[in-house]
Amino acid sequence: MSSAAPVVVPVTPQIEAPLPVRDAIARLNCAYGHIIDNDELERWPALFTADACYQILTRTDFDAGRPLGVWYCDNRAMLEDRVSSIREVNVYEPQIYRHVIGATEILGHEKDTWRTQTGYFVVRTMHDGEMMLFSAGRYLDDVIVENAGENMQARFRKRMVITDSSRYDTLLVIPL
Amino acid sequence: MQAVGTRPLKELVQWPAEGYTRVPLNVFTDPGIYQWEQDLIFRGRTWSFLGLEVEIPNPGDYITNRVGDTPVIVVRKADGSVNALVNRCIHKGSIICHQPKGTRERAHNFVCPYHNWIYDFDGNLKTIAFEKGIQDKGGMPADFDKSQHRLIRLRVETIKGLIFGTFADDTPPLREYLGPVMVEHLERTLYGKMKILGRYSQMMHNNWKLYIENSRDNYHPSLLHAFFSTFKLNRLSAEGGTRQDDKSWHHITFTKRYTDKGDAAYDSGMIRAQKEDYGLKDPSLIDQWMEYPDQITNAIQSIFPGFVLHQILNSLGTRQIITHGPKDCELVWTLLGFEEDTPEQTAVRIKQANLVGPAGLVSMEDGAIGGFVQKGIAGDLDGVAILEMGGRGVGGMPTRATETSVRGFWKVYRELMDV
Repeated sequence: MSSAAPVVVPVTPQIEAPLPVRDAIARLNCAYGHIIDNDELERWPALFTADACYQILTRTDFDAGRPLGVWYCDNRAMLEDRVSSIREVNVYEPQIYRHVIGATEILGHEKDTWRTQTGYFVVRTMHDGEMMLFSAGRYLDDVIVENAGENMQARFRKRMVITDSSRYDTLLVIPL
Repeated sequence: MQAVGTRPLKELVQWPAEGYTRVPLNVFTDPGIYQWEQDLIFRGRTWSFLGLEVEIPNPGDYITNRVGDTPVIVVRKADGSVNALVNRCIHKGSIICHQPKGTRERAHNFVCPYHNWIYDFDGNLKTIAFEKGIQDKGGMPADFDKSQHRLIRLRVETIKGLIFGTFADDTPPLREYLGPVMVEHLERTLYGKMKILGRYSQMMHNNWKLYIENSRDNYHPSLLHAFFSTFKLNRLSAEGGTRQDDKSWHHITFTKRYTDKGDAAYDSGMIRAQKEDYGLKDPSLIDQWMEYPDQITNAIQSIFPGFVLHQILNSLGTRQIITHGPKDCELVWTLLGFEEDTPEQTAVRIKQANLVGPAGLVSMEDGAIGGFVQKGIAGDLDGVAILEMGGRGVGGMPTRATETSVRGFWKVYRELMDV
């Protein structure tokens, strides 16, 4: 390569995704954060397909190829059981989350299923006003985007929440 | 190595005349008592969990961990044995290994990053950078004897892949310390070739002893943890009890979920939960196979001072308490399976991980309840806790409605602390 030649910097391959698809995925991620933060957990399972997998695991375990996390649901009924447990069973001090969700990168797709990753952080506010940066990490998702009437509709076929820290404060009762 | 500069323990702790049915609440808050515990319990005549052999399979492999507050390196030697060294350079006190794990080639051994003092795997000081100075200037005094300085080395013993260490020369050998009841249960639970499925930790805003009490308290689960009863997973006829070693240092609580179902449930295949029997939309969460011939489906084993081994249905795991000052502690969970597991069995273990840990449907409250106590006792320097459920003694009992093993903890605590 001569010194005059332009340097070609390799970049992440651009995945062509139609704007309506990108828009549907963005709306899904947006709704996901607000449903949790606004304490509308009963609506949360509907963001997933019936056979969806939802998992929370540490970045260290993910990088090591270890399968197990603090939270592992392999169908939507398990998500509904989680919501029931949060509402009726588990004992914890009142607390709310605030999700800040970053821009989504589309990593690839196969037919209707789009593989994406999205950074996030969650601030947790306790009933007495104490706040902490509770979790930061990324979502690694398989999102199904289908025609639903005039709009495209997106739902999670798989959401893997990969937490940067392997340490969780007190307890993790509300989904990240 | 005593808690230098700390007031004498006898001034800090006035144990009530009732003995171990009472606990003075300042043991959960006082920084001086905490310092004494580091000396007399964690660096005293006890065995602490250091890690898993499977984490350091090859010579030169090491992990770092802590015993109470004290940082340690656990390393596999060329002959296959395991050493544990205090992870603190004798020069300035810097930690030597700042990685959670790694492998050291034999030639390098352990090099302090600050001034490159180098130690071998036995903790011997081998070289000091610029020991002879540079161009005949500087350097260590000619009479400085490296052989007189070394890393503190713990005694190490292993059992079924678990590595334990002790600082004290007069701690009994590990198996004697555990006693036959505890040894048998460890060997029974960890019957296979260990495989790590996942690891995470949980910060708890309470004194470490409040968690350890909780791990030995089989009075609370059906009351605090409502998951089992709400979803009708509790069978009243389930058999259970409490076991201890002869000296009440350690504890096992166990239940047999299918006691009332006859022998039909105990074949080696999967026991499928029936939807109509439970309140869960997906009862596959509690599908299990009868893993152990003793038909125990739930067992918590707590080894003094800070180690717990759990079996909850088919979820297996270790828990290690790490101290973070008098009012905080960290619980490190390592979820386990065995190389011999079938893919279906591994899937069951993964799914049942939902029951344990900081997001555990059954056990998440344990992360908060110690903090509730810590908040409740704030400001009450003279208060005491009452431990009379199941009588006023210690020892195993054929019931779970007892605090016998919590009393056992305080019995041992008082012996070690001499209070």
